[in-house]
Amino acid sequence: MKKVAQWSTEEVSQWLTEEGMPEYSESFQHLNGQDLLKLTKADFQSPPLSLVTSDGGRQLLDKIETLRIEHHIEAHKNGHANGHAIVAADGDGGGKAKRNGVLNGFRKDAVQIPIPEPERSPYPVEWGKTAIAFLYAVCCFVFTTVMISVVHERVPSMETDPPLPDKFFDIFDRVEWAFSICEINGMLLVALWLLQWTLLKYKSIVGRRFFFIVGTLYLYRCITMYITTLPVPGRHFKCAPKLFGDWEAQMRRVLKMIAGGGLSITGSHHMCGDYLYSGHTVMLTLTYLFIKEYSPKRFWCYHWFCWILSAVGIVCILLAHDHYTVDVVVAYYITTRLFWWYHTMANQQALKETSQSNFFSRVWWYRFFQYFEQNVQGIVPRNYELPFSWRPPRWSQTKYTRIDT
Amino acid sequence: MATTHLCGEGDSADVLNMCVVEDNCKLPNGLEHTILTAVEEDRKVKRTKRGGLSLGLRKGNQKHRDYIKIPVPDSKNNRLPLEWWKTGIAFVYATFNLILTTVMITVVHERVPDKESSPPLPDKFFDYIDRVPWAFSVAEINGMVLVGLWFVQWLFLRYKAIAGRRFFFLMGTLYLYRCVTMYITTLPVPGMHMTCAPKVYGDSQAKVHRILQLISGGGLSMTSSNLMCGDFLYSGHTVMLTLTYLFIKEYSPRSLWWYHLICWLLSAVGVVCILVAHEHYSVDVVVAYFITSRLFWWYHTMANVQELRSSPHNYLMNTWWNPMFSFFEKNVQTQVPCTFSWPISWPPSCFKNSCKRYTMVQSP
Repeated sequence: MKKVAQWSTEEVSQWLTEEGMPEYSESFQHLNGQDLLKLTKADFQSPPLSLVTSDGGRQLLDKIETLRIEHHIEAHKNGHANGHAIVAADGDGGGKAKRNGVLNGFRKDAVQIPIPEPERSPYPVEWGKTAIAFLYAVCCFVFTTVMISVVHERVPSMETDPPLPDKFFDIFDRVEWAFSICEINGMLLVALWLLQWTLLKYKSIVGRRFFFIVGTLYLYRCITMYITTLPVPGRHFKCAPKLFGDWEAQMRRVLKMIAGGGLSITGSHHMCGDYLYSGHTVMLTLTYLFIKEYSPKRFWCYHWFCWILSAVGIVCILLAHDHYTVDVVVAYYITTRLFWWYHTMANQQALKETSQSNFFSRVWWYRFFQYFEQNVQGIVPRNYELPFSWRPPRWSQTKYTRIDT
Repeated sequence: MATTHLCGEGDSADVLNMCVVEDNCKLPNGLEHTILTAVEEDRKVKRTKRGGLSLGLRKGNQKHRDYIKIPVPDSKNNRLPLEWWKTGIAFVYATFNLILTTVMITVVHERVPDKESSPPLPDKFFDYIDRVPWAFSVAEINGMVLVGLWFVQWLFLRYKAIAGRRFFFLMGTLYLYRCVTMYITTLPVPGMHMTCAPKVYGDSQAKVHRILQLISGGGLSMTSSNLMCGDFLYSGHTVMLTLTYLFIKEYSPRSLWWYHLICWLLSAVGVVCILVAHEHYSVDVVVAYFITSRLFWWYHTMANVQELRSSPHNYLMNTWWNPMFSFFEKNVQTQVPCTFSWPISWPPSCFKNSCKRYTMVQSP
């Protein structure tokens, strides 16, 4: 398009109509491009223009200015750095282009356009926070083990305190090998979850959540185990003898238990007293919840399989008379509620801020939650990738010299 | 002359302008426009890209018969409907659960192991603090005071129906959970001081008699109605103390901090006194507090945060009582404001001066 300065009167008239300002076309019949550019605000204050204009010519002047800038950019495309920025003016209306001074000659000062920095990922990796969560979980595990060892000293002996009456035990007799099934299921679920976790794209975020929730659940468990000691649920229990203050032996027991992961199968769990609530149930339930949450919805076969593993494991705990029914029920309740609570808070932006209607912010771990999840925006998508990037060795590929050098 | 804007024509078609045109304004060619909505504009923008005055002519020539109805949100729509019948249902639910709890206590009582054969379990709190006999009365008095305060406060609430419904539902659910935990495993008595009524072993009439006695006494020891043992996990007294405090705090003005503090003290002292009286194990009280507070916060967050209801990733809906929650809170669309009103409103007809009659207005 020709420069404005070279427009004829017809072109001016056409432009006026196109821009939706036909009221000026009559008055501007004799104006060409040059005159158009020379228009100022003062011209609109006096007749005849003051009669046709409704806004003091402001809109028209804005459009003229836009035209001028457009053409200026066109003409100076390769020369100017950054072109001209449309700066919002103070006062009259937004978006008014800054005048550059001389009408027909353009000043060559560069205006910097702030380019927005590349968007931060809504799911930042932040392995540091995951490490902290891991440490927290490890601390809670160690603390639990120490607590079991302490509680063991206080468990009433089987003679003085018989097992408490339990409805499930009344109905079902003890099955000897059931507890092994439970532990095998547990190990299987943990392994499946670990495998799934390594395939996730946002490992750090999900891992952080898992460690935090597991740590908190074991911390609660410490408390309930400690304050009231339940007697052994069955006469079949072989509790290790009490040590009565022998710290060294106790430390050794603690280490043995940690090394064995707290499982009876590995022969590390000979201590009694850790009944309310059941740690096995916690692991079975939690791994199932995480597996289901972070795997595609269409893998319903897989979800069902894990659910069966989990449910069978829990029933086996009871069949083996290794925990009271109330231990299992309370463990299930606390695990599911904490999981759902945490994830709802993490997925709703509205719940990440403290407010009157956000009762979730009253839990004691709210600050920790905010620390872990404040940079995660939105729901973590279920994306998968191989844990390490797999590139075929270079020699098998053809080399494109111009690209690959 | 009024200003006219030909929306969307020319090269500014990418900017959708709300095309509001004053009535009776005339375009240069004498065309009239009616008020267009943005939706129509959207359709027309696509056609105006060929732009120019000619299209304006075409636009003007069409009679705008396809009006689009803009739904104006009904300001009179009640966002907090009272629905007393739902409160009635919640009340029935709570009563049912209370009766179920009572029946369960009677059943469990038969299974409580003997004090001699099953001594009290080791409890950390009991190790440190010895029993104080009158402490349990303090706990019960506190409980009664808190329930009384909450009742009075409830009477003065404007949205009684909604708050009452929530209270009954939560209480009912907590007692239901309590039935379950009480029944499945029976804990022995926490202290040798407890006198348990003798077991009746299948005498149904005596059992029913006991149930009625317990209900009429409200389950309190002070009224000598609760001589039955076995209802230890978890503590019903803690539930009431905690729940009434939470409700009192939630449904009263924030500025009454001294009132909240008093209620908090009543509640805390009551809970500690339960333990000092060696009437419940520590784990009973801790679990009761945990379940009560979590359930309260869970329910109220679901009810107050409106975004959760339409969000697909709302795990809070995975609970078993979610259908009941939806039923109760479906029509409550906003947080219940803390407004108070007199419990009884005088009907206006009592005060209408019957002397004045405005014949044109009041004539049938």
